[in-house]
Amino acid sequence: MKLLTHNMLTSHVKGVTKGYPLLIKATEVKVNEVDFNPQFVSRMIPKLEWSALVQAADELGHRQDLPVELVPEYEKNEEFLKKVHRVLLEVEVIEGCLRCPESGREFPISRGIPNMLLNDDEV
Amino acid sequence: MDATVENNVNPVRRSKEDKKVIRKQLKASHTLLKHEGISTARQPTKSLVVANGGLGNGVSREELSAALKQMGEVDKLIMHPNKPYAFVTYRSEESARKAHINLNGEKLQCGENSVTLYLSYVDSVTCEEEASVPLPEGLVLVEDFVCSEEEALLLAAIDWSSTNTDVTAQKALKHRRVKHYGFEFRYDNNNVDKDKPLPAGIPQECLPVLERCVKNQHIDIMPDQLTVNQYESGQGIPPHVDTHSAFEDTIMSLSLGAKTVMEFRHPDGRLVAVVLPERSLLVMKGESRFLWTHGITPRKFDMVPACDPQSFGDTTPDLRTSSNLTLSKRGTRTSLTFRKIRHEPCRCAFPSACDSQGAPPAPSPPPPPSLPCCHADAALLEEQYVHRVYDAIASHFSSTRHSPWPRVCHFLSSLPPGSVLADVGCGNGKYLGVNPELSAVGCDRSSALVQICAERGFQAFVSDALSVPLRAASCDACISIAVIHHFSTQERRLAAVQELVRLLKPGGRALIYVWAFEQEYNKQRSKYLKDQNKELPENHNPAENSPEESQEPQGKSSVHNSSHSEDNYRTVDNNQHVTDGKLSVHTNRTAFETKDLLVPWHLKDGKKRVEGDSGEGGKKDKQKEKSKKTSRSKATLDCNPATSPGLDSNMFSDSSLDTIAATHSSKPSPCCDTSQTCSSAVKSESEIIPAPVFHRYYHVFQQGELEQLCAQQAGVTVQSSYHDQGNWCVILEKALNR
Repeated sequence: MKLLTHNMLTSHVKGVTKGYPLLIKATEVKVNEVDFNPQFVSRMIPKLEWSALVQAADELGHRQDLPVELVPEYEKNEEFLKKVHRVLLEVEVIEGCLRCPESGREFPISRGIPNMLLNDDEV
Repeated sequence: MDATVENNVNPVRRSKEDKKVIRKQLKASHTLLKHEGISTARQPTKSLVVANGGLGNGVSREELSAALKQMGEVDKLIMHPNKPYAFVTYRSEESARKAHINLNGEKLQCGENSVTLYLSYVDSVTCEEEASVPLPEGLVLVEDFVCSEEEALLLAAIDWSSTNTDVTAQKALKHRRVKHYGFEFRYDNNNVDKDKPLPAGIPQECLPVLERCVKNQHIDIMPDQLTVNQYESGQGIPPHVDTHSAFEDTIMSLSLGAKTVMEFRHPDGRLVAVVLPERSLLVMKGESRFLWTHGITPRKFDMVPACDPQSFGDTTPDLRTSSNLTLSKRGTRTSLTFRKIRHEPCRCAFPSACDSQGAPPAPSPPPPPSLPCCHADAALLEEQYVHRVYDAIASHFSSTRHSPWPRVCHFLSSLPPGSVLADVGCGNGKYLGVNPELSAVGCDRSSALVQICAERGFQAFVSDALSVPLRAASCDACISIAVIHHFSTQERRLAAVQELVRLLKPGGRALIYVWAFEQEYNKQRSKYLKDQNKELPENHNPAENSPEESQEPQGKSSVHNSSHSEDNYRTVDNNQHVTDGKLSVHTNRTAFETKDLLVPWHLKDGKKRVEGDSGEGGKKDKQKEKSKKTSRSKATLDCNPATSPGLDSNMFSDSSLDTIAATHSSKPSPCCDTSQTCSSAVKSESEIIPAPVFHRYYHVFQQGELEQLCAQQAGVTVQSSYHDQGNWCVILEKALNR
């Protein structure tokens, strides 16, 4: 699970209103090399929940010097985009779990795949 | 003394006293032999009786013949089962005399024990040419059906991990271990739970073997049930007939890891013991399947023919006579028994043994599932007829879903770069990589399929389409291709659409494809109907045909036609409503008769396999084995462990082995041949090969039905609606002010 994906995921346990962002507990994290496409990263940024991204990167210990707030005119800031690229697309949680911040319910991540299936009573 | 005498026999200079003892014992043996009807000769001849050198004493052929051969060229060595002696005929009288001198009164080391041999000349050796015992009718044994590599692969594929409490219990009881795939076989009623398929179907690793079975015409229908039995030395299975009502006629058993002897018993008392060599396939049909019982006596040693064709002179040894038997210690044998579940009552010609026709009545077959009326029932139905099936067929399914549909690709390519896309029900991730400019994430209910996505480098997670854990209005676009038709109630189908809409940002678009009830459109039969002769055509569902094989998809013109015109389509059959609420099984490649149905999926391994040296390797092994046995080596003397009869009282079966172990060599399929045909079998998409069948639930949509469903959703408009190769398709747009 990449942090780009994590940024979109939310807890959908019944009754939960503050299920986002999911907390990450990772036991295995991988950093892959992914081709850097500045336009792509640039386009993704407005669609992200920035603070959730920073928080997630932090949880994984991969935040490095990603700023708490978006820098202005990031579209042309290749250095910044590269940082975002790394955190968004290169860092991957292989094993661990996602935890609903409200209910505490944990969703396992195994072989890079989060299993978000709810039990019948949680739907 | 001959300098070449080996160490197992110790000719010792005897004292007078010793010689006296030997003489006495010899006399005693003569008496015994006389009782056996064997008269000894006073003068030397070419033939000797070797008292105490018999299979009945636990002396193996290899051990004895090694000792005898040292004395000269052996013409014949006859060892009757159960007898405490052997007959040896040498080429020359001189050799016989040498043997007499050197071996009479001498100890022969057999593993941990030793026997004292007493030799006497005999005039003639009776070698009854026993009529070869025929195998039970319908029984075929194919040797070397798999090569050693395949054997190893198959054995590794069986997961004996003891999460299964049965397996731990079996271990504790020193019972043979059993594991089922496809369907659970119940030992309480000796039948199968036909309405409860197991989550694990027949493992992929077995498919090449099964294909080979079909190719070699051992079966015409692919099995859908596998029972794995693992027997340690000393374990067996009581004689039984496989329940008629549970399984179809042909039953196949692959023996791995070790050989064994299986006994077949006819009601009239006949017994046939059949050696099942390692890597052999036993095919039971007809009488052998329905009438004869089969079982494996718990033993540590079996009497089996010695496979040593080069050892004895002129004659090609007939494996079916007693002269070529030896003892064989059992190793751990794993059998894979493949069967096809029977859904109709058995109508065999053997009613006395048939539970469908008299003998204890079979439990009545479970009623076919009916359409659910509530969410809980619907979820259960979908669990059984959608989720479990996809998990079982995942990789085969994935291999048949390799080409994205052009019109779906068109939709994806038309999205602005950087769009966030959710593919709900992404399957094997076929569409996730179509447009690399998108940020695409997939989700599917099947973890097996999601796993395939991950392997391909896509982002995907496991979830239900009715509750997607993505934030509302987080997606620029969604697709749901061939998904919603798996929901078994109207409410759930609507909920699925609603979920897609929830995910969309205002102004976002969703593309939905579902199977159409009407397979003919614009007077053109859909590819699904057209491809009647394709390999596994039933698996090429309308929504998932690979377009590269055909001309332009038919649906193109429909975009311009009014999709509401009655003229544009006709149903091939009358439009029947489901009145009784029962689901019927659909016949693939025909028009749909009802809207809710179970569609068969014929499982086949579509994966490409690397045909390595498996064939060659297997062959090499065979040759190595042969040369080992012919070499005159000390090794063979020690290789058989203790064969003392006392050790294992079961060594000679209670069934008194009145017939001898028969080996029936039908034309063995050397694995190197079949491995080559295997590689061509993989691409034999043009052949029709039957396969294990799974049933998937579908609700097929009539024209306009999908649109109606979407219309029930507030805040969306149908942008376009069309028919594409047997699917009804809709592009929705979420209103901007939502």
